[in-house]
Amino acid sequence: MTPALYDRIQDLRKRYPERRSAILPALRLAQEEHAGWLPPEALTEVADALDVTPAYCLSIASFYDQFHLEPRGRTLVEVCTNVSCALAGAQDVVDAFERELGVAPGSTSADGAYGLGTVECLGGCGWAPVVAIDNRHRLRVQAADVPAIVQELGDGDGPA
Amino acid sequence: MATARPEIVFAGTDGGAVLTLDEYRSAGGFGALAKAREMAPDEVIAELEASGLRGRGGAGFPTGRKWAFVPKPDQLPKPHYLVVNADESEPGTFKDREIMLRVPFRFLEGCLISAHAIQAKTVFVYIRGEYEREFEILRDSLEAMRKAKLLGKVTLVLHRGAGAYICGEETALLESLEGGRGLPRTKPPFPAVAGLYAAPTAVNNVESIATATKVLELGGAEYAKLGVENSSGTRVFSLSGDVVNPGNYELPHGISLRELVYDVGGGVPNGRALKAVIPGGSSTPILTAEDIDTRMDFDSLVAAGSSIGSAGVIVLDDRCCMVQLGVRVSQFYEHESCGKCTPCRVGTRWLTQILQKIENGDAGQADLDLLLSVCDRILGKCLCPLGDSDAIAVASYVARFRDEFQQHVDLGRCPFEGESSLERILAPTEMHARHHEAAHA
Amino acid sequence: MPELVKVTVDERGVEVPQGTGLVEAAQAAGIEIPVFCYEPRLGPPVGACRMCLVEIEGMPKLQAGCTLTVQEGMVIRTAQTSEKAAEGQEATLEFILVNHPLDCPVCDKGGECPLQDLTFRYGPPATRMSFPKLTFDKPIPISPLIALDRERCILCYRCTRFSEDVSEDGLLIARNRGANTVIATFEDEPYRSPFSGNVIELCPVGALTSTQYRFEARPWEIQNVPTVCTGCPVGCNVSATVREGRVRRIVSRNHSEIDRGWLCDKGRFTYPHLRAGDRVTTPLVRDRAGLREATWDEALDVAEELLRAAGGAIVTALSGSETTEIAYSLGRVLRGGLAAHSAVLPEATSDALDAFSLPLSAIAEAELVVVLGDDPVVERAPIVDLWIKEAARRGAEVVVCGPTGDLPTPPGTAGSVCSELAAPGSRLGKRLRASERAILVWSGPGGGGGARLAELAAELGFEGKPGSGALHLPSTPNGRAVAAAWSAAANADETNPEPIGLLFVSGDEAASDPSVRALAEQAARVVVVTMFHELAGGWADLVLPATASLERDGTTMNLEGRLQRLRRTVLPPCPDELAWLSKLGARFGVETAPDAATVYAELAERLFRDLTLEDLGLRAPLPGRKGYAEPAPATTGAPPPLPSPAEQHFVGQLRLHRYRALFSGPAVERVPELRFQRPPLEVELSVPDAERRGIATGDVVQLRSNGTSVELRARVNRRLVEGLARVADEHAGDLHATVEVVKAP
Repeated sequence: MTPALYDRIQDLRKRYPERRSAILPALRLAQEEHAGWLPPEALTEVADALDVTPAYCLSIASFYDQFHLEPRGRTLVEVCTNVSCALAGAQDVVDAFERELGVAPGSTSADGAYGLGTVECLGGCGWAPVVAIDNRHRLRVQAADVPAIVQELGDGDGPA
Repeated sequence: MATARPEIVFAGTDGGAVLTLDEYRSAGGFGALAKAREMAPDEVIAELEASGLRGRGGAGFPTGRKWAFVPKPDQLPKPHYLVVNADESEPGTFKDREIMLRVPFRFLEGCLISAHAIQAKTVFVYIRGEYEREFEILRDSLEAMRKAKLLGKVTLVLHRGAGAYICGEETALLESLEGGRGLPRTKPPFPAVAGLYAAPTAVNNVESIATATKVLELGGAEYAKLGVENSSGTRVFSLSGDVVNPGNYELPHGISLRELVYDVGGGVPNGRALKAVIPGGSSTPILTAEDIDTRMDFDSLVAAGSSIGSAGVIVLDDRCCMVQLGVRVSQFYEHESCGKCTPCRVGTRWLTQILQKIENGDAGQADLDLLLSVCDRILGKCLCPLGDSDAIAVASYVARFRDEFQQHVDLGRCPFEGESSLERILAPTEMHARHHEAAHA
Repeated sequence: MPELVKVTVDERGVEVPQGTGLVEAAQAAGIEIPVFCYEPRLGPPVGACRMCLVEIEGMPKLQAGCTLTVQEGMVIRTAQTSEKAAEGQEATLEFILVNHPLDCPVCDKGGECPLQDLTFRYGPPATRMSFPKLTFDKPIPISPLIALDRERCILCYRCTRFSEDVSEDGLLIARNRGANTVIATFEDEPYRSPFSGNVIELCPVGALTSTQYRFEARPWEIQNVPTVCTGCPVGCNVSATVREGRVRRIVSRNHSEIDRGWLCDKGRFTYPHLRAGDRVTTPLVRDRAGLREATWDEALDVAEELLRAAGGAIVTALSGSETTEIAYSLGRVLRGGLAAHSAVLPEATSDALDAFSLPLSAIAEAELVVVLGDDPVVERAPIVDLWIKEAARRGAEVVVCGPTGDLPTPPGTAGSVCSELAAPGSRLGKRLRASERAILVWSGPGGGGGARLAELAAELGFEGKPGSGALHLPSTPNGRAVAAAWSAAANADETNPEPIGLLFVSGDEAASDPSVRALAEQAARVVVVTMFHELAGGWADLVLPATASLERDGTTMNLEGRLQRLRRTVLPPCPDELAWLSKLGARFGVETAPDAATVYAELAERLFRDLTLEDLGLRAPLPGRKGYAEPAPATTGAPPPLPSPAEQHFVGQLRLHRYRALFSGPAVERVPELRFQRPPLEVELSVPDAERRGIATGDVVQLRSNGTSVELRARVNRRLVEGLARVADEHAGDLHATVEVVKAP
């Protein structure tokens, strides 16, 4: 384990009156260090740093949508398909990403570069459809915009 | 005549954002904080009570009264906490996001004022994990305030969630903040007495906190002049769906739904007809086009058989199949159910299954009866409002659009024949199910 | 006296103490409120399952009764008188059954299943669910002892709450969210906790079942025989489930002062040793060809011959696991009939702590608990560890002074810790004196059977403080009563025969004790009473089959000083000890009864006046405190000091610190499902000692001492005192007191 992660988690602990409160930010850090997901080693690292069991970390990580216990691709594309986004054409956007990335929703590309998924309300209903790419939101995305977005993702190190 | 649109929460932004401390201060910012700090905590509470401000998260509990319930430190000598619920996740609601984006200092000032009122030395802002940019803006604003020594003795911690709607329920939020799974707690004990770390805690919504700043600035009585009886002040309405100008609009309580949808929102686009409106986020009963003159305030919406909730207004035109709406909304609650209590954990999934059967045209009359029976069996039996919300929403779709549901049964198919605006929409629960099937094929 | 409140339940009035829960108040009125997730021993109620919905006058919504405390004047309506409540409860059951599989014909829980019972009483008569149910791979073993069936699971969370909030192991968890929630462990790791088996009893359905008990019996064809566990000195109250003359499982019988309904896995799962392959069932006599089977008449002839030939130079090695009656009869026969007064016990015993006795449940009420001694409490008296955890959860301060405690102290220094605490300058001592509810626990060897601790308690002023007390955790389940019974069997002084003409070894613990073996080498002849061939086959002249505790009537005294009654749950494959002792005694003119009740009546006159077997009943009481009598001073000297770093050549030596694990001993070794609970082949090192040697957790290391060497895996223990190599006794072999520890090449 990188000493950095352990130490960073100790710093997080100091912010809270009780150490267990640091588990959410700790898991987020560990996930960032493990290419966007939490393999068992990551859970063990967090457990060691917080003096809890790996099973406890699993229990917490598996509860929340933003923690992934399977690889989700180096770049994760999430399309909101709740009511307002659906009315604005979210499904067409999902279909377009599926075509362009060659990934079915819920899966990861064979080379591990991309993951695609649908998510619940991202809190951008007035700017629907909303797409989160590595947690940065793109607003008013239409199916026609998707090829250019995918091109941009392929070119750069990541989304804007 | 159009309703006046006084800006309270977004005052001084001129449609934009106030992102530097100097800009905010030179426009009068932090004056309210200074004023509050000169007042006794109880005086601040009295000001809020005079304003009539009711919680803007969805429950609508009077803010001043909530703070008054918190035992004083000499009554209960434990650290006191202010916890701000920035976990905005109710479908149709996106106002807190815009508040944090455009008036971060007003919001943070409100945190300090509120902390003073309940004599809390620590404030936790629980912000949903998906609001990453908003978190960054708050972080930078907070840092600027710290440098300007505005925090005083208060510690303010920005705590990011990780994707769970249930963490917007106050006791589930506290559980999550304490480092557990976001499972709601039974009440009593109430958070005011035993909340975060079993200590006296007030949990308030972002908009309520930001409004508190203006209440102190204007004075409670002045604020109470805005709005209508039992619903004072302005409200940031989130307008979305089949409407020309979706967005957040700060308007006084009491504005009619008609004015909101047609004048402010520009009406339904593409010449379609208005079919239904969800007035306060997906957890509120649906209204039909006949309800268009309902006033948007707490009492009027209750009288209309619904609720103002989080003021997330979703407009639906005549392309939308109400059964499909039921499926999609039920899928949301099924996905977000924490799984603690039996009726919600099992009931939300079962409702989705029955609704899907109706949509597929495979349902008989008994299934329609079963749907309402299951709604009934969920309602009032759950540990927290999530399960109830599914049942309330779905039951309202059946109640208001009974004929459409009946048509699905009689025809043996969806009458929209694949043309509904919610056709084929892939919900996360469905996505996981497909992925699971594919993986185990 | 707490105030009373008056409430009405289904129109029945009842008065209960203030603070009573609604479920208990209804119970007091004779009304059942059905529950699944409600279990007061797991902490505050969670209101998760919604089975207990009731109607309360003045509250519009149905309430989860288990979460409420009754208030004066509350009017409660249950399903009996409230249609709304009845419908609510039916709804809960309907929802539970939506995904529950129709497994009853093949489910072990059937017949003793709350879900079956409550569905019958409150549930829907038919299903309205037409969709595919949630399915899972099933059953999956979460350990060799426990099987998990996720389809049957109703997610009441009792098991995860036990893991998190009672045993605090944090190993059994809920994974995922909503309808996808499942009970799980981390990866494929087994649920390895000394208390894991309790989830089987807690589970209200057949989701968590015992693999040992799988398909063994149905509740209507068994008998549950009440007895007491003797796996450790706690003496938890248990029932043996018996079918067709065999023990099929052990369940808790719940003594609220001792075990509170919990059992450790050793007590729960070791019973299969009764049918171990190498169990001795007939006497074995050694002749020139080796050991051969003999009849009892022959065996007793040989025994008589050997005993007479020893000419009084007889030493008896007692295990401390004998019943009081066996120890007494043994004493009557050997001491009375043969003047063989010399006996050795694994450890000293003392009555001194009777002045500071309290029930184990008092630990939960303590505000300060101080543990001293070499061994973790969980290895010596597991349930005491649960009580201490409960105390900590309730806000007590817990201080552990030991080689792996928060106040690190080297092994063998518990006595000096006592002196330090008694000294006027000690801050902890001051807190102990000031508290009204302080408890001392001696967990480890030495201490004079509690004498040292009693001296400390007296010095700290515990006399006259009923909330303060002290407990000594012995290494034997009945050592104190065994010593007392042996002592009372005759009025004569101890002798020390040399050389030893005959060593009489009573019980498996003595037979597997290396120091008893060493004595056997010096003795001319050896008689061993044992259950297992392997333990005495190589060195005994006469082997007599022993019975197991589950096969005995009699009494046993636990670490509280509470005498409890054992009841024979199944017939042993050989005669009871009291039976052949009676016959043997007759040959020496000693009359002892072949049945426990009569023997007890006799010994009780000397040891337990005013305490009949009936008084012990099903849940024995704890006698009141006696007056304090200063015990005899300590006889053992100070322990050898640890080698200092300066004295070490090269990388240097460490002191070997052996500990006896809970899951050890001949009985446990014969249960394959318990193998994973046994101590791993590990040596624990402190952080500085490991660093000095370049050893990390997981490295294979060698422990060397004067010719012997053992290879083990290293584990760095942040809490271990420096200078020690900590190894489970059974893995330490013949290693000496100091060892060199190096990374294996």
